[in-house]
Amino acid sequence: MITLSFALNTPTELIAAPDVVVTDLRVTSGEEAIRALHQRLRAATPDVKDAAQFLKDLLERAAISSVCIAADVALPHARTVAVSRIVLAVARTATPVTFDAEHPGVRLVFLIGTPKAAVAEYLQTVAALSRLLKNAATRADLLAAPTEADFRAVLARAQRR
Amino acid sequence: MNVVTDPAKLLLERMLRLLRWRVWIQEKLQPTEWQVTLLWAGLVGFLGALSSLVFSGLAEGVHQLLTGSNAGVVESMKQLPWWAVLVLPAAGGLLAGLVLMLGKHLTRGESSTDYMEAILIGSGNVPIRSSLVKSAAALFSIGSGGSIGREGPMVQLAAVMASFLGRWRQFTPPQLRLLVACGAAAGIASAYNAPIAGSFFVAEIILGTIAMESLGPLAVSAVAAALTVRVLTSEAQLYKVPEFKLNSPLEMPAYIALGVIAGVLAPWFLRSLKRSEGLFVATKFPLTVRLMLGGLVVGALAIQVPEVCGNGYSVVVNILNGRVLWTTLFVIVVCKWLATAASFGSGAPGGVFTPSLFMGASAGYLFGFAINSVWPGGAGDPRAFALVGMGAFLSAVSHAPVMAVIMLFEMTLSYDIILPLMLCSVVAYYTAKGLEGRSLYSEALKKKAAETPGGSAFGLGQVAELMKRKPPTLPRGAHFAEIARMFLSMRVNNLYVTDTEDRFLGAVSLHDIKPYLGEPELAELVIASDILREDFPRVAPDATLSEALGRFLNFEAERLPVVNGEGKLLGSLAKGDLLLALVEMRKKPVAA
Repeated sequence: MITLSFALNTPTELIAAPDVVVTDLRVTSGEEAIRALHQRLRAATPDVKDAAQFLKDLLERAAISSVCIAADVALPHARTVAVSRIVLAVARTATPVTFDAEHPGVRLVFLIGTPKAAVAEYLQTVAALSRLLKNAATRADLLAAPTEADFRAVLARAQRR
Repeated sequence: MNVVTDPAKLLLERMLRLLRWRVWIQEKLQPTEWQVTLLWAGLVGFLGALSSLVFSGLAEGVHQLLTGSNAGVVESMKQLPWWAVLVLPAAGGLLAGLVLMLGKHLTRGESSTDYMEAILIGSGNVPIRSSLVKSAAALFSIGSGGSIGREGPMVQLAAVMASFLGRWRQFTPPQLRLLVACGAAAGIASAYNAPIAGSFFVAEIILGTIAMESLGPLAVSAVAAALTVRVLTSEAQLYKVPEFKLNSPLEMPAYIALGVIAGVLAPWFLRSLKRSEGLFVATKFPLTVRLMLGGLVVGALAIQVPEVCGNGYSVVVNILNGRVLWTTLFVIVVCKWLATAASFGSGAPGGVFTPSLFMGASAGYLFGFAINSVWPGGAGDPRAFALVGMGAFLSAVSHAPVMAVIMLFEMTLSYDIILPLMLCSVVAYYTAKGLEGRSLYSEALKKKAAETPGGSAFGLGQVAELMKRKPPTLPRGAHFAEIARMFLSMRVNNLYVTDTEDRFLGAVSLHDIKPYLGEPELAELVIASDILREDFPRVAPDATLSEALGRFLNFEAERLPVVNGEGKLLGSLAKGDLLLALVEMRKKPVAA
């Protein structure tokens, strides 16, 4: 696939440089995790235009069906009118968090917001993340990264591979 | 790599693999709705040929039962004693009448729509029971030697099969009408062993267009039918004729004159049939008695002239091969005309297509013979005039010169005579049309159209008339696995997503998920609402067809959802159906 490398915020570039990275998110539930990351994201970028709507859409989506793609990885997401581009917040939780009955030990959370029309970009982002996280070494590196800078470096390196 | 053992996961992976294949095949082959229509047309052709063969087999069986002879109608009449010849057609009329009467109980509430009406002004529904009853009655009027064609009922039966198939598969009205037209083409192709004429007959007379959208399926159906007949029977061309050719350009004036004569005679012939029908109805006798009376007239004529019985096929073969004296032929023509008027007028179910061919052949031969005796150079071979006369008469009766030329060519495989045949058919057509605005078929159609409000099949020309109801839908929470399963089982590229109150939310496009079919991890995460396209174009049920076409022009899809003012999903509109309807609307409605 040919992508324009200079275009900002292609899904791959976004994963290499997320809007928000938190390496020790202290929360006790999936909903708390979503709320916390939403809060950070809204502070980090003006592209979240309608924070309340965004949160509502995120929680609604999580309520319909599971947002986890592995035992320890959750991808809460929403296609929403509240963002003007794809936004991404990544967090490593300090302790395992219960997202739903089948996923009680989530450590990595990738919160995605996509504009309504960007169906293809949304799928690209999710697919790229799932490919990246399938790699056991990358997952171990992400869990072990001591600082935010190290964490970002792992993401950037993994995305370049 | 770890081995996946979870059965649900295995199933999902399997399904995604299948879906990848489907997408691959679709991209390589690009099967459109048109191509699928062609497949159905082929099936209809096959079934139509079977039903034609069964019908002619049954007609022969009835004939054998009634006459105790398995020879042709004319031959077996010659073998019977005079009283049997007199009584037999009347008995056949009685039996046909009884069948029709008994059938009335079965078909109560059904209209008597025939295939032409169904295609031209109806929804493509050919009533099954009343068609079967009519065909059963026709078996008796034909088997007993009535002067009527067996090909009409064969065509009707083939159209019924098509209509039945289409309704069973829930075709939309334009598709159903096209399928019934395919059935009719198959019926003609198998009855006359003439696939090209079969397709053109339906295109020219019934659909009134030779646009490729409709001619393609008709041709496929006709070919399938002719092929089936050729495999199952040993028949080659219908009329075996000696080699004819245009002996000299000097013959052309005589051929043109023949065209004028056929053009004058044909409307007369039709009018006399109508007149006879009027006379029979005026007697106020019940139908069964009328049919008996008609049979009696045929029988009385047949005592001296057995050639009047049947559709005239064997006599035509003899004429074309020059085995009939002109004096004899003259007597036969007059009697045959009377007999056909009696059979048709009494209401005997059957066609007048083949009797028309007989009239044309006789007129042509007699005319050719007359010219030949005064000026041999002007008409070298009267038999060639017989053949050209058939085409001219058919063209004048049916108002379909293209079909007539092709049909004559196909039935006789005599190409050398094509120049006078074409010219003569066209002359006959214009002559007949100048004298009489209606054709063999326009009468019944006009009558029916007057009863039908709106006139044409697409009265208002709105989307709602063409849409397919109850399209498959997904709930917004549907998982990827469910979406994949639905894409596998339906041949669509977009699935519609609705809420619990049937409100249209948008569509999930196969195109969007195509690149990700190889990633089962995604399948667990993604649900319909994640990949829903809310801006998917939609059409209103009361939109006009051209408005709907505009939507299709701006968007690449085979179907669009039909959504009403309250946002409810009512159905889906196929681009193919829309184009078919537009093609048909473009032509002047015959019914008007």
